[in-house]
Order: sequence, then structure tokens, then C-alpha cells
Amino acid sequence: MNNNSNNDDFLLIEKAQNGHEGAFNFLMTKYYPRVYASLYSYTKSREDSEDLTQQTFIKVWQQIKTFRGDSAFFTWVYRIAINLAKNHFVSSASKKDKLNISSTDLDFEFTTFTNPESDLMHDQSLIKIKSFIDQLPESLKTAFTLRESDGKSYEEIALITNTPIGTVRSRIFRARENILNFISKELGDDV
Amino acid sequence: MTYNLEEKLSALYDGELDANEVDGILDMLEKDVSLQKKLSQYALVSSSVNNSNNIQSIATKKKPVNYGFWFSNAITAAATVLLTFVAINQLEFSRMGEDISAKNQLNIAMSSKEAKDIVSKTEENLVDHVMHVINNPDLDNATPYDIDLRNVGYNRLSSNGRKFNKGDKNFILRIEKKNLGINKVRYWRHGDKIIHIVPLADGRVVTIYGNIDAQSAIKVANSIGK
Repeated sequence: MNNNSNNDDFLLIEKAQNGHEGAFNFLMTKYYPRVYASLYSYTKSREDSEDLTQQTFIKVWQQIKTFRGDSAFFTWVYRIAINLAKNHFVSSASKKDKLNISSTDLDFEFTTFTNPESDLMHDQSLIKIKSFIDQLPESLKTAFTLRESDGKSYEEIALITNTPIGTVRSRIFRARENILNFISKELGDDV
Repeated sequence: MTYNLEEKLSALYDGELDANEVDGILDMLEKDVSLQKKLSQYALVSSSVNNSNNIQSIATKKKPVNYGFWFSNAITAAATVLLTFVAINQLEFSRMGEDISAKNQLNIAMSSKEAKDIVSKTEENLVDHVMHVINNPDLDNATPYDIDLRNVGYNRLSSNGRKFNKGDKNFILRIEKKNLGINKVRYWRHGDKIIHIVPLADGRVVTIYGNIDAQSAIKVANSIGK
């Protein structure tokens, strides 16, 4: 794999390519929400998105050795996901794959997730989170935003903010912790 | 979990951890459920920040599909078999018993104590079944010997077995008459193989264990269900 490419996950990818399941689990955990969200944007179906996300990561695991680092890892994963989604809709057989479930079976799908009010609640939660990020101490907000929104490396952030890399690392971590604490304390079950 | 360890996890999440420290964190992740949860949360924060127009980044947190990746390790410890859980849904998460939000969701989803008991029993049965398939792939008195999968392109590898192949795809097939309590296809990974458990409309369950992708496995199962 080309380790000069824009892949923050180079080390993990390389390990996963060598069969390191823990490294793959890390990558999967990291990208699962984004893949799921992307597929939901495409399918507008929670069930389909969930199934396709699972299939995506099975395929990623099967094909990860073919990833050469020519693109960002998520771009490569995203491509697999969207191709699966396209095939899912193109194939009329995919409809047949949906198994008939007896009405006597328990249905554990959370119906609240299809409730527009629930969606609105989540939407409002997002606004709260973004609002909280805006209120973070400037040093934390800058480091976190440069990393998460702009994709800057720690070294680049260190140059921009004129701070040591170790400080950047610490600020990003503290920003994450603050956000998680906010989510936990202020939003509770809303998210 | 130490502050320092979490900071290293955050750095690894960003791809900024020193190479000589990566293995240590990955090893810790294998064992430390709270660290796994932290990683999931970092991913959700990223998703919510980067998908602000998409409510699913948060809904995904509420629906804890991403918490089960490390579920395998609990099973591994219990069964001394490396078994990685791939298919994620709420039921698996309920077993982890550590997320209040998810528990609340389960409480909403399950309207009665009986339902909870059934879920718990279902999961136990499912894990038992998967472990049996892995540990005793040839021990199967229920599956007929005369299954013909040539209509979907698979040949039987032995005259008295349930092993099939097509090209580089090969698998062992089992059919359980008992309903394992699942209502959707479930996938598990074991080494380089996948275990597909496919419920049929008639109540039987098809288990396909081997080197075969999900879509092909479902196609095989459906051919049996017809």
C-alpha cells in the first residue's frame, strides 16, 4: 500500500491487510457510522442501510488486501458500499431475499426510529452538539475543528496554532471528552 | 482505563499514534470493553460533526449497531474460539449490558418481561448454535444428505456430506428444523470464514459456513426454502 497517500489509517490498514482482526475491528468501528449514514442517505431505509453496512464491511474484510492506498480509505469503503447499494436496488432478486417473517415472530425493530418526531429530536440533538462545540474553549474548539472538519494532521494543526504536537493531541482528546460528557449529561437518551 | 490510555486511543483514532504504540492499544482494545465503547463514541462524534445534515449519525448511536464489533471477544474468552461478530443489532448489544441508552431502547422495544426472556434465550441458543457449527462442523444428524444445489451452481464436494463449492466459494451447509428465534439473516466471522444464519419462511434455519459472501449465501438458502 502506498503509505504516502492521504491515509490516516495507514498503520491500521496495513495490519488489517496482514490479517490483524483487531486492527480491522478498529477501522470498522471508526467508519461504521459514516458508512451507515451514507447508505441511509442513499437508501432512505434503516433496514436496508443496516444490512448493506454489514455487507459492506464483510466485503471490505474480504478485499482489504486489494486496497492500495490510491484514495482515502473511507473513499474506498464508500465506493464498495454504494456499489452494494446499487446492486441491491438493481437486482429484483434483492426483493426476494427479504424473508417472510411470521406475524407471530417478535419484531425488535425500534419503531420510534421511523417516527418523524424522533427524527426531529435527533436533529435537534445534533444542533445542540454543534452548539456545544461552538462553546468549547477556543483552543480546544480550534484543534478539534481543524482535525474533524478540516482533516488536518496534528503536525499541520501544530503549525497553524503554533503549539507543540503533544498539546494538539491533548486538546483534541479533551475536546472529545467534553463533547462526550455533554452528550451523556445534557442529552441523555436523546442521542 | 487511564487518562493516558484514552488519549492514546484518541490519537490512534486520528492516525497519529506512534507506530510502536499501536499494537499495545489494539491489545488493550481486545480486552477492555470501556475502551471499545470509547472508540465507538469517537466515531459517533465524528459522524455527527461531519454529517450535520444527516440525522442518522445520531440515530446510529441510538440504534447501537456499532457497539457489537468487539462482542466477539467476550465469546472468544468464553469459548476459546476466535469468533468475530459481524452482524450487529440491538439484541447483541443487550448482552453487553453497559449502555443505559440502549437498555432504555430495549425496554421500549420489548413490551413485556416475557419478550425479554425470549430475547435472552434466543441469543443463548444462537451462540450455542454458532459454537456448535464451528467446533463440530461435521456433526449433523438433521440435514439431509441429498440436498441438490446445482440449480444455483454449487456442486457437492462429497457424496455423503454437506460440503459444496463453486469456484473459490466453498461451504458447509446445515438445515435446522428448530427455529432459532431469529427473523433476519445474521452473519458471523470465524477466521477467514463467514457463518451465515438464514431463517426461512417455513420456520427452518439454514446455516452456511465457509468462504462465501452474504448475497450468495442468501441465494443458496432461498433455493432450499423454495
